[in-house]
Amino acid sequence: MTVSAPPTTDFRNEPILELRRASARESLLAALRELDTRLPLSVPILVGGDRGAAEGVDSTDPGAPQRLVARAGRASEDDAAAAVDAAVRGFRDWGARPAAERAEVLRGAAARLRERRLELAALQVRECAKPWPEADGDVCEAIDFLEYYAREALALDRGRPLVQAPGERNTMRYVPRGVTVVISPWNFPLAIPCGMTAAGLAAGNAVVLKPAEQSPASAGALADALHAAGVPHDALALVPGYGDAGAALVRDPRVHVIAFTGSAPVGLEIVRAAAETAPGQDHVKRVVSEMGGKNCVILDSDADLDDAVPEIVYSAFGYAGQKCSAAARVLVHEAAADTLLERLAGAVRVLEVGQAESFATEVPAVIERDAQERVLRYREAASDRLAASAEPVPGEGWFAPPSVVAGLPEDSPVNREEIFGPLLSVTTVRDVDEAMDVVDSLPFALTGGLFSRSPTTVERVAAWSPVGNLYVNRGITGAMVGRQPFGGNRRSGSGSKAGGPDYLLQFVEPRVVTENTMRHGIPVE
Amino acid sequence: MEAELQRVGRSIQAAFPGRTRNPLRALDQKAMELASQDMELRAALFRFVDVTPACRSLDDLARHLTGYLDEVDTRPPPIEAAMKMSGTKAGRTALGAAAAAGVRRMAHRFIVGETPRDALRSIRHLWEQGAAVSVDLLGEATVTEPEADRYAARCLDALETLGEAAPRWPERPVLEADSLGPLPRVNLSAKVSALTPLLRPEAPDVGRDDAARRMRPLLLRAKELGAHLHIDMESVDTLEATMDLVFELLDEPDLSDGPSTGIVIQAYLRDSPDQLERVIDWAGRSGRRPPLVVRLVKGAYWDHEVVEARQHGWTPPVFEQKRESDRNFEALTRRLLEAWPHVRPAIASHNLRSVAHAVACNRELGREDRDLEVQVLRGLGDDLAAALAGHGMRVRIYCPVGDLVAGMAYLVRRLLENTSNESFLGDQQRGVPIEELLAAP
Repeated sequence: MTVSAPPTTDFRNEPILELRRASARESLLAALRELDTRLPLSVPILVGGDRGAAEGVDSTDPGAPQRLVARAGRASEDDAAAAVDAAVRGFRDWGARPAAERAEVLRGAAARLRERRLELAALQVRECAKPWPEADGDVCEAIDFLEYYAREALALDRGRPLVQAPGERNTMRYVPRGVTVVISPWNFPLAIPCGMTAAGLAAGNAVVLKPAEQSPASAGALADALHAAGVPHDALALVPGYGDAGAALVRDPRVHVIAFTGSAPVGLEIVRAAAETAPGQDHVKRVVSEMGGKNCVILDSDADLDDAVPEIVYSAFGYAGQKCSAAARVLVHEAAADTLLERLAGAVRVLEVGQAESFATEVPAVIERDAQERVLRYREAASDRLAASAEPVPGEGWFAPPSVVAGLPEDSPVNREEIFGPLLSVTTVRDVDEAMDVVDSLPFALTGGLFSRSPTTVERVAAWSPVGNLYVNRGITGAMVGRQPFGGNRRSGSGSKAGGPDYLLQFVEPRVVTENTMRHGIPVE
Repeated sequence: MEAELQRVGRSIQAAFPGRTRNPLRALDQKAMELASQDMELRAALFRFVDVTPACRSLDDLARHLTGYLDEVDTRPPPIEAAMKMSGTKAGRTALGAAAAAGVRRMAHRFIVGETPRDALRSIRHLWEQGAAVSVDLLGEATVTEPEADRYAARCLDALETLGEAAPRWPERPVLEADSLGPLPRVNLSAKVSALTPLLRPEAPDVGRDDAARRMRPLLLRAKELGAHLHIDMESVDTLEATMDLVFELLDEPDLSDGPSTGIVIQAYLRDSPDQLERVIDWAGRSGRRPPLVVRLVKGAYWDHEVVEARQHGWTPPVFEQKRESDRNFEALTRRLLEAWPHVRPAIASHNLRSVAHAVACNRELGREDRDLEVQVLRGLGDDLAAALAGHGMRVRIYCPVGDLVAGMAYLVRRLLENTSNESFLGDQQRGVPIEELLAAP
């Protein structure tokens, strides 16, 4: 086997827009004006090239709920079964194509997303109340996933070198598993479904994509780009809808891989349901899961607060805290606690809460009424420890005021449970060791942060920390494909790293062939 | 003109004061030399200087120091000795004390005092020696409203304190007037980013308006006191907000006829020629008196701009070759001098070639020396300032004021600059011949 440079060495992240330039900002606003003339969009169920119903799921603007962004089909259990039927057919062709051909198709889809990037960012502003910098970042990440996994699939296609002995030839190769179900969340409405779908397709599987009911239009745009680039309709189905469609897909005995990103309760239910082996099912389903977090930032006494305060604020309140990587807790050394809390509180009070379409907005509405009520409920539970809040917030739309609470008891639900909203809890600790005990006591281990200027402390925490992604002296969100492969441990996920060199391995099965090369006592290699 | 430039350059060089024999300064110089020779050691020393104010005890300080030095592969003997000391508590305390004293001493070289009042003696001394100053108030980053208010209050206090003291300074005609009229004795530089917690690159108008709310009273007070208030320029992320803020405020009726004020153009920016045209155009249209002072600098955020651009996949907004910035500096110098009397040019550089070029160019345009101001940084340009003052030129020293915590970011930037292998000062200290120092970029 010849050894050549891995194909990912020419991978470059798609540059985000330079929003400090007025011209870039104006181009996005123009795209939004254009999009608004076309709303609501129509997102039909797409199975085997047939455009099914496009009603049953209404997607609205969280910041202005009377605005209908898209009408999508509501897939039934029958639709789910039909999608798997098509995928079984589609897999035979798509899985048999050379890896290089599949990679080219994915890169073609990346090019299509690139051409539409302004419009797709505008769609997230409307559909998910995602502020511009994050909406643009999400589109770029989607492009990155396509480009990255296309290259990784080529690398994987070369197999892995094995030890060779005289008279035998050992080869190891990876082949696709089969039908892959992707169940994706709304918080990265293009990037996350794109990452999981691209991984499945790049590895040679057929994919059935069930996007979150809150963001079907972004997923529809993804399916359009992939189909237009040459993914056969049988190899990719789009089944918008609710949890019942997702559950039917998970149960289907013909499904091989389930790639899921979302909440821990749903993720654990998928793990349980996928473990059941139906009569006639001759394989074990594999679940790739990315679930919640309760992410802690540890701040040591020698931290630079000038850096730490804005980074913590953005990590906790960017996109209203609705990122799996968002900071939920700060564990601060007692020597720095008073100053940190004073500055953090002051920084939170000046946060701009508003509509995502305004460049001034830092904290938008949360995704839906349930989310708003959930955040307000936790906030109420901690109301006697409220240190700061940015109020008032707009009356219309699902707004929740970004808030900091301090000094809650360790067993408070606000300190233990994933809130997924703009609420940050600050806890004073004696030292970094006590902070590590707190982190260790939590069931989640997705991201974590450390602000310290001591090389020994940094090394100690890095060697010990259970989290999937530890960020030192910077914010804890914003993982970049190829640079910060992303994924959690413990109950945060199965430990696979999206956007990293191991991710595709979950979508393939390894096969080893050992050939005897001796004929009549003579090696005939 | 090139001949005149060479003549001016040599003449200024000849007027540089002789090397001081102060043993402490020699020690700092030694540390700087060590740092500029070894990148790992340089990084370790800067990380240490940076963390000093956040350390809780001498022991903590020594632990940080050895933590950084431990990452240096080849340690010169004095550093090896420091590592040995750190094995015991007593050793760490002694090491911490020595290191803290070293950082304080270095800081004092670049920072004139903790408060404007503390700085008055040094400022008066410089004035007597023939150099004016611009006071810059160092501070921690502004992330809250109270921090922005406090910075504004400190600016006001600086204006009042200097305004009260300045009338007692002796007359220095070169520093007090040019051919367009009188020049304020009191000169304060202020940063827009310190006047608001709301400055964000994607929403420049929010921060601009919030900063303007605090800048306006400062300008009005400066006008009453007859002081100059200069608005500094920072990274590209805040450039649009800063430019817009200056023009919008100065167009307000109360501020259209004073105070004396100014803006900064950074020659390392690829867009700087357009920015300068915008300033000159505005100055010409507004006919403002006293004229806007335009301080031309190379720019101090080069690494930040390049790293930020690279991380995001952008073309860096700065020239990547130092030579390109130097050439642009000369082109912008000429353009700025040509725009007189709509603007008052201030050339801020420690580069002998750049300064000599400005002097020669100004003369070639038929202007008087007093219609050109040269600006340098305290701690880096002191010798150049003395030489220029000796030539009867108007020189202004940018003097940071603030405590060690507040001043650390500034100090680290200055130290980096002072140990950079690309810097003019480095060349000069290494004894690069005058022909090379004055060669066209």
